[in-house]
Amino acid sequence: MRAFFLLLRPAFLSMRRRISIKPSEGGLQTQVILIIGLLFWVLTFFGFNFFLSHVMAVEEFGDILARKLMAMVFLTFFFFLIFSNIITALSTYFLSDDLNILWPSPVHIITIYYARLVETVIDSSWMIFVFAVPVLLSYGVNYHPSWTYYPWCIAVLVPFILVPASLGIMATMILVGIFPARRLRDILALLALIFIAGIILLVRLLQPEKLINPDAFTSLVGYFNAIHVPDSVYLPSIWATDSLMPLLMKKGSASVFHILLLSGLALPILGSYLAEWLYFATFSKAREAKKARLTRLEIFTSLLQLLTRPFHPSFQALMEKDIRGFFRDPSQWSQIFILGSMVVLYLYNFKLLPLNRLPDNIFVFGLTKEGLQNAISFLNLALAGFVTAGVAVRFVFPSVSLEGKSFWILRSSPITMRRLLWSKFWMSFVPLLILAEGLVYLSNRFLKVNDVVMVLSLVTIFFMTFGIVGLGTGIGAIYPRFNVENVAKIATGFGGLVFMLFSIGFIAIVVYLEAGPAYRIILAQTRHFPLIPKVVARITFHFSLVLALSAACFYLPIRLGIRSLERIE
Amino acid sequence: MVTLQGLTKAFGKFIAVDQLSLEVKNGEIYGLLGPNGAGKTTTFRMVAGLLKPTSGTILIGGYDILKNPIEAKRTMGFLPDRPFLYEKLTGMEFLDFIVGLYGMDGNLAQRRIADLLEAFELTEWGGELIESYSHGMKQRLVIASALLHQPKVIVVDEPMVGLDPKGAMLIKKLFRKMKAEGLTIFMSTHTLSVAEELCDRIGIIHEGKLIAEGTLEELKKLAHEKDFSSVFLKLTGGEDVDKTVKTLEV
Repeated sequence: MRAFFLLLRPAFLSMRRRISIKPSEGGLQTQVILIIGLLFWVLTFFGFNFFLSHVMAVEEFGDILARKLMAMVFLTFFFFLIFSNIITALSTYFLSDDLNILWPSPVHIITIYYARLVETVIDSSWMIFVFAVPVLLSYGVNYHPSWTYYPWCIAVLVPFILVPASLGIMATMILVGIFPARRLRDILALLALIFIAGIILLVRLLQPEKLINPDAFTSLVGYFNAIHVPDSVYLPSIWATDSLMPLLMKKGSASVFHILLLSGLALPILGSYLAEWLYFATFSKAREAKKARLTRLEIFTSLLQLLTRPFHPSFQALMEKDIRGFFRDPSQWSQIFILGSMVVLYLYNFKLLPLNRLPDNIFVFGLTKEGLQNAISFLNLALAGFVTAGVAVRFVFPSVSLEGKSFWILRSSPITMRRLLWSKFWMSFVPLLILAEGLVYLSNRFLKVNDVVMVLSLVTIFFMTFGIVGLGTGIGAIYPRFNVENVAKIATGFGGLVFMLFSIGFIAIVVYLEAGPAYRIILAQTRHFPLIPKVVARITFHFSLVLALSAACFYLPIRLGIRSLERIE
Repeated sequence: MVTLQGLTKAFGKFIAVDQLSLEVKNGEIYGLLGPNGAGKTTTFRMVAGLLKPTSGTILIGGYDILKNPIEAKRTMGFLPDRPFLYEKLTGMEFLDFIVGLYGMDGNLAQRRIADLLEAFELTEWGGELIESYSHGMKQRLVIASALLHQPKVIVVDEPMVGLDPKGAMLIKKLFRKMKAEGLTIFMSTHTLSVAEELCDRIGIIHEGKLIAEGTLEELKKLAHEKDFSSVFLKLTGGEDVDKTVKTLEV
């Protein structure tokens, strides 16, 4: 037992040190992150509370629907936790550098297993835990249960988190055992695909928007069939739901809690048996070297050279290095799949929007049905911008930090920091522009917007992408993190937060500046309102401001980033 | 003290270590020498319990590392070629952590930590975060951590990597002192002068196989050479160096 706590000590001390940095040493960062986290938490609470109160207001079926909603939430958590635990376990059990200290020491394999289980659970599940609290709290606020409900929530959440954690860890051990570690990235790709498939499947199954719209169905049976939440007695999400709902509805005790508790305790133990049998062999496999297969193919090299040919030789060298590095580092490119799922979900939601079912004579905010479709398309710009910023924080913002400890090579070479940053900018800009334009084009197609709105959206997202990539490259250079062990963590630091705040601000201002003009244009298009010269002048002025703002976001951060890199000693 | 029997490690079709058998006797300094990529680090990682051998056995102090890993590891102190340190811990906290890993007695361990910090000139830095240490200081801290539990055998992979002359001198003196105290040292190196100065016996590994073994004099006799570098180059096919140099002379 002593050894178990000892193994957790370095992680605990390191975390405490990171949190307790004094303001003079950048401690403000932790406070800022905490404040933003709290804001997010409060927003989640009020948002969910609003949704739940509407669900519960559905006559006669409020309780049934509230239960379905809770089952949906828990099922989503469960899927997320399994995937998140698999990814985290790869790192904590197999790739982490400190394992090189632990394995040669006389610590029992089971002790390492349990200590890493705790680290994995904390790393992968804290977010769900934090997110679950406002959800369960809003159930409490709406149902007014006895005080025992609140400690009971914790008692339910702990085993609920342990079940997917143990399953994820066991799956990781088996996967690393099946696939040679040199093909670790293949495993990651496979997992990511499973994750995307799981998410799509889940959304298809759940369709949460139907919960508050029973009138859309012809019969009660049809309604309940449509809100199909997997309700199997074998699902931990159902155990968790049925452990809490009786307490909320004051209807006796929850017998399924025992199943949840038993699974939460039994599965980690089962995992320990697996670890005793398999862990050393798989850990040893994970130490083997990796091979670069795809990126050593002649066709890949030729394609790369063709792509970079128009550029200056030093530009070319930088781009080739970065592209090769990107494809050879699973921790970099595997994130594409996670973001891919985000994009698929994004577009899928547009396809689900019930705009076609709206009555033709609808009249909202002075807009007809067609006008409403176009207005939604315009608001979609903000969402597309946000997705682009989300992708940029993962791929553009870390581009300077990725130089890592070999930054000295560039610093001591005759390449200027200006050239370095611009090469990073252009290399990120092209794929991001394709993504952003693709998102806007496809979602507009789903919305069936008219040509003017389509062109306006495509042009706006073009300038927005310039600004977002400029912000990402520049702020990434101002806050470089050359010593981060895990690439995926670069984006989670203070610089990443600054970038996201600036990006959201930029997107919000652009949307705000264009909202009025877009409304006028839509009215002119759909209801033939005349565009008088004064309105045209105002529209032109607003669009010029958008252009100027995009140019500032594109140019200024990069300039500051260049200066900051030149000052690094 | 350390016995390797038919030790083999294959990575797919590539055999990194091939039927390696050797014995490091009690109280001796044994150097495993070989060019880059010869299989030294793979061998040492198997000895340390970081890699699972494809076949063969490793005995440390009589304990099989696979069958009785806890006892085998307790007997040994391991110094990797690229050691990892928890950057956010202080030197003292790191050593405390190692004390816990090896289950040492508290008071005795604290005295030992103080002694080692002093011996390695780290006393003043004990309370500082490791991330603020210089490369040499980190190296000294790692050595201190490997000696903390008073192992019977020290397994060292490339001990001189990145050390300044003072650091290298310190290591040499330390190894001699440890040998005088009865400790066994099993080290790998490709620095011939280190092997010449320190090792009682030397094994030469090439392409995963032990191709020669003996004292310095025995090896010289075997290769019919007077100086050790010629012996090494002759045994490991290093005559190619001359060819390479000639190619570069344009």
